[in-house]
Amino acid sequence: MELALCNHSSYPRIGDDPEHQLLRRTIAQYDKGEKTDDAVRAAQERMTELALAEQTEAGLDLVTDGQIRWSDPISHLAGKLSGVQLNGLLRFFDTNFYFRQPVVEGRPERTEPLLVEEFKFAQEKSARPVKAVMTGPYTLARFSVAGNGGPGSFEKTLEGYTTALAAEVAALAAAGAKVIQIEEPALLKHLDDFPRFEQCVSALAMNKDASQLALALYFGDPAPLYDQLQTLAVDILGLDFTCSPGLADRVASSGSARTLMLGLLDGRNTRLEDPDATTRLLEKIGRNAGSNRAYLSPSCGLEYLPRDRARQKLRQLAVIRNTFLGSPS
Amino acid sequence: MSRAKLQGLGIDLPMFPITSVGSFPKPDFLVKARADFASNMIRRGALEKAERQATEFWIRKQEELGVDVLVDGEMYRGDMVAYFAENLAGFEEGGLVRSYGNRYYHKPIITDEVHWDEPITLEWWKYARGVASKPLKGMLTGPYTIMDWSFIEYYPDRRTACLALAKELRNEVEALIAEGAKIIQIDEPAISVRPEELPVAIEAMHIMTDGLPAYFISHICYGAFDGIYPAMLGLPADNFDLEMSNSGLDMLELFKHHSCTKDISFGVVDSHSHLIEDDSTVEQRLRQAVEVLPKEAIWVDPDCGLKTRTVDEAIAKMQAVVNAAKALRAVTSDK
Repeated sequence: MELALCNHSSYPRIGDDPEHQLLRRTIAQYDKGEKTDDAVRAAQERMTELALAEQTEAGLDLVTDGQIRWSDPISHLAGKLSGVQLNGLLRFFDTNFYFRQPVVEGRPERTEPLLVEEFKFAQEKSARPVKAVMTGPYTLARFSVAGNGGPGSFEKTLEGYTTALAAEVAALAAAGAKVIQIEEPALLKHLDDFPRFEQCVSALAMNKDASQLALALYFGDPAPLYDQLQTLAVDILGLDFTCSPGLADRVASSGSARTLMLGLLDGRNTRLEDPDATTRLLEKIGRNAGSNRAYLSPSCGLEYLPRDRARQKLRQLAVIRNTFLGSPS
Repeated sequence: MSRAKLQGLGIDLPMFPITSVGSFPKPDFLVKARADFASNMIRRGALEKAERQATEFWIRKQEELGVDVLVDGEMYRGDMVAYFAENLAGFEEGGLVRSYGNRYYHKPIITDEVHWDEPITLEWWKYARGVASKPLKGMLTGPYTIMDWSFIEYYPDRRTACLALAKELRNEVEALIAEGAKIIQIDEPAISVRPEELPVAIEAMHIMTDGLPAYFISHICYGAFDGIYPAMLGLPADNFDLEMSNSGLDMLELFKHHSCTKDISFGVVDSHSHLIEDDSTVEQRLRQAVEVLPKEAIWVDPDCGLKTRTVDEAIAKMQAVVNAAKALRAVTSDK
């Protein structure tokens, strides 16, 4: 099995070195009226370049822009859509990270590209292919509140988000994204909603053109849905193995019709994974993966870790691959 | 509800006892002292002098306002988890991680067996008691929240880490009680986030409190209460201190369906809003509480710690809390 290394999605925008404090410092000064929009943008670009460089230095084959510009996984997309206002802070799953909750007053409408310029900037600055990452419509809808409430409001919100993000998938594909990752952690909290979820994915997949569409599920156990996930119109299936003790056995026994993105390194804990133990899991999974290629990745975005530990996790990906291939690390 | 227990401890409180959740904003002189200390411009002694001055300021202010059960205001703490991590063996300070927007914190890492070597909050409790004329809560962050808001490298799983912390933190509770603390608050804001782990939090709280002669309060906030109620009634505390205003008092609906067996410190002002609620709004929230809960079981306070407000905002919010409690006392027969 060929094993490629990839980042999952986010990457810390801050570190303990003064160089890594640039964006925080600039935004704080911006809030006091001491810096301009251009200065904030320049700081975001600099931190994006640093994130790309650290991923490349770690030996990754597929990188991300680190979502350096994102205030949070929900409002960065929903807040750019018409018909959506942002409200108070809510906790993002069981993390100690908070997002601004969208209030959907009408149908969410995409009036401008959401991520295309960010993707283009990252691809231009990166020595490696850049994966475009977006939170999916189902998760956006689950974390939104319909201003008018009433029956059917969730369905209307979901439909609006799906249409908007399908257009964004088309735009990212046209911009040259080889891989477009849709993040849908909320599905794992609503397993019974799979039929509705499947329709959303199909709508996005129709617009992917030559891009590969990846679905990333994390913060929960995907094993109960494993067979259904294999039917989805995606090219890559990203799974969080840290929440599911039986998932490796399940993959080993059932195989996979999709290329797997194996989230074997815990993106939420600083403890570094043992290369030998992780290699044993890889060997088990690889025996029947059904594909000649898989991605090894963290289980989720790395912004939940301090920068030094996030960087170590990326480097550990290469150590594990070397152990898996039987060559010295 | 637990008035008999309080009276047994020698504490007689009025109807609708007024308290606060714990933290107050640091006055400007303390903010400057902390910045100067971080820049090595002043020594620790000078910082501690400013912290004592600020503690006394908030004790006096609470008494002026008419608060019944006081807190020391946590002038000596930065973050509620990091403070305990810095003072327990087994932790390392982690690098910065983001909590939201442009806000970051140092998330602790448990790298070794945790151990309580000496009292952490006791000297501050003693100092505050020395300047206070009313009952003063002992305050500590609970083991579940410290575990949940730390990276765990040493222990094999979350439960083991949580119970190890509980065993060690019980020493702090015992130290406070030995010095005379009668009311002890154990903050567990993380408890409502993973309903499946509530039994772990309950087990840890038993380790912390079983057999100890104090009235225990647990502050819980900003989570999905519908996922842990009524099971959370198994938590061995006398009083749940709850964020009610921010969530539109929706917890009252849960209390209607399943009676609450605890005293409730009822949050009547939103701690994370600059808006100062008018007296009628706050009083109305408290009236709604009285419609559902036995009035003898109701304490009155803000939703959460007030440290993110300005000093003036915190005082104004506490004034609104006091006004509401006094208004309700005036219209009830038991005064």
